[in-house]
Amino acid sequence: MDSKIIEELRRESAGEDLDLSWLEKPAAERGLRVQPGKRGLTLEDIATGSYGELPDVTRNQSGRMRGAAPRTDAQNMQQHWPFRSASWSESAMLLYEEAVQRQWSSATDIPWTDLPELPEDLELAMSQLCTFLTQVEFIAGDVPGQYAPNVSAEYFEIGMFLASQIMDEARHLDVFRKRALANGIGLLKAGPGAVGLLTAQDFTEMTSTLHLVGEGFVQSLFRMGEMFAQTEVDKRMFRLAAQDESRHVAFGVMHMKYVLEHEPERKEEIHTYLDRMEGQLGSGSTQAGLTGGGETGEALAILLGGGTSETQLREGYNKLLAIRKRQVNEYMHRLEVVGLGDRRQRMNPMMQMLLDPPRN
Amino acid sequence: MAETDTQPQEEQKAQAAPQIPGIPAPPALDMSWAKVPTYRPPRPKIGDEGFTLRLADAGPYAWVPDHWPYENDTPRGSFPAKENMGLPAPYTIYDKVEVWADNCADLYELGIKEQWKPATQISWSTIEPIAEHIEAAIDQIVSNISEQSYNSAQTLMGRLKEISYGFHEVKLYLSTQTFDHARHLEAFRKRALANGGGLGVQTPGFFNRTCYAAFKWTEWVIYVNIIRTSFLLAICEFGDRIGRSQADRQLFDLTANDLRRHLAYGIEHLRFYLQMGDDQKRRNVRIWLERGEVMMAADLRRDTPLREAFILALGDTVEKGKAALKELRQAQLRKYLLALEAATYTGHEQRVVAPLKDVIENP
Repeated sequence: MDSKIIEELRRESAGEDLDLSWLEKPAAERGLRVQPGKRGLTLEDIATGSYGELPDVTRNQSGRMRGAAPRTDAQNMQQHWPFRSASWSESAMLLYEEAVQRQWSSATDIPWTDLPELPEDLELAMSQLCTFLTQVEFIAGDVPGQYAPNVSAEYFEIGMFLASQIMDEARHLDVFRKRALANGIGLLKAGPGAVGLLTAQDFTEMTSTLHLVGEGFVQSLFRMGEMFAQTEVDKRMFRLAAQDESRHVAFGVMHMKYVLEHEPERKEEIHTYLDRMEGQLGSGSTQAGLTGGGETGEALAILLGGGTSETQLREGYNKLLAIRKRQVNEYMHRLEVVGLGDRRQRMNPMMQMLLDPPRN
Repeated sequence: MAETDTQPQEEQKAQAAPQIPGIPAPPALDMSWAKVPTYRPPRPKIGDEGFTLRLADAGPYAWVPDHWPYENDTPRGSFPAKENMGLPAPYTIYDKVEVWADNCADLYELGIKEQWKPATQISWSTIEPIAEHIEAAIDQIVSNISEQSYNSAQTLMGRLKEISYGFHEVKLYLSTQTFDHARHLEAFRKRALANGGGLGVQTPGFFNRTCYAAFKWTEWVIYVNIIRTSFLLAICEFGDRIGRSQADRQLFDLTANDLRRHLAYGIEHLRFYLQMGDDQKRRNVRIWLERGEVMMAADLRRDTPLREAFILALGDTVEKGKAALKELRQAQLRKYLLALEAATYTGHEQRVVAPLKDVIENP
């Protein structure tokens, strides 16, 4: 800063009490002139110079944003995780920007007025599926939200991504509730829900159980919406929701990859989280299990088969098994990406039998 | 309650389910879930606003009980799985009075409709080089807003798990507010780095710490949605005088629009809390307001870089800048008091704590 300007300001009438040390000797890097690119002015664009230097460990407990000038009297929160590996995901900036660009409205982006009347069994099944989905979707907002206060301002992009996920999950709770209420049936039977996911005591435990397993399985299901959705309205709903889930899964995959690359000693610990989740999924009798019964499994089978006759149900359960196979194989692929390919040998046997042979 | 016609149970069981090698056979058709006595809503008449929450939650689905009885994630209006409710959740808010605002469903839909995209909807290329000390002043101001936004986002996200599922409209609205905070953090940080500057000095953090330390939901709402939002909104409404470019003005205008929704929730919740609560609740409000005012005053009094940044950004001369800063501070207080009045908490002007009065009158 030109010292003449500082002097002039101090010399001005009423300028005698000005300190201006923040202007005279700025402690934060200056001189940045970041230009927008093809995708506008993105988080990645501004992660430049010292503003893009993420520490592996930080003592910042005051909420000072990465790159800002510190104060010696700043208040101390003493609850921010000091380690980058505690929450970092290399894809957070990209996924956050994508989330902002790809928001949609359940009120206006679904062509509700085109929803045709369905045979009652099919409408009942769709309402039951949507009752299950509206029940569990916002747990996937509550769960990451509980960790946001612990994410240091050095890694604020993680907090931003979590905010985008919470927004998405709200829209999912909302859209599936609306769908159940849109066509004359209403909400049906709630299940045991997904509250168990809130027991995670660690961010990586959360991404293992929520992103890698829970949301991953839901993403695979939504991507198969073409098979069980009976109308174009429903297909669009599942397509849009799948697009959101893909971001959440990608975030989790990249977090776990980061952790396993930087803290390989945590591998066995992470396996224990997956053991627990697979135990629930592979039991075959839970709603999330999808194949062997439960309200949601039956509703899906009816939708997939197109009705409740013996032939239709057989076809429905066979298609449900194909979805289940896809869920398990896509899960295996995520495990390989994060560095847990050895899970193939220790996966819950009920899931293992659905695995395709390993790719060479 | 309409019963839904389904096939007789025996006939359903007779339908052979497929046997899949290696996988247990699926059970016989049951469909007991289809017979639960939930309400069958009429098909909605969808208008220009689309299929809104208000339209969807028709009849009994719209009824929000004063006390939500279920400890898990049972959706309101569904038939609870009493035989298997799963693990009780960590929710602590089961009483409507603690969290409700009548405008939540509308604010949620509006929040989605009015979302904006900082990367592409701000005309970043309209920002042109300006005097270095003015740029530094703007950077200091936007750094402050960015930091406050992160604090609001973090403390809000952490509290969502407190709110039980029966009040889903509140959770939904708050998700839009969370996302607004994230975008404000983003947009103001981008502004600081876009024009030859950088971030300024961090805030003293008294108010940030207070938001973290709030014990009760309504306490947090008073700090963030009433006090902080009133003060920030007044700054954004001074955006024409602070900013120097079209991008700056867009930034302040769009943020102000979001903040008005946050204030609207704060006002409606506080009104509900006061109207439905007892005298103790009114006393709680007074304590929280005092605490929030003291902490806001502490930040404003100690934040020399921010004070001086406003003086430089708002006036052609230091003298004019100081006068404009006083005008801004008075606008902030006025907005805050009007918000309280709208929430039926009247006559607070005489009770504003002395340190806040002092920093408003002698900024």
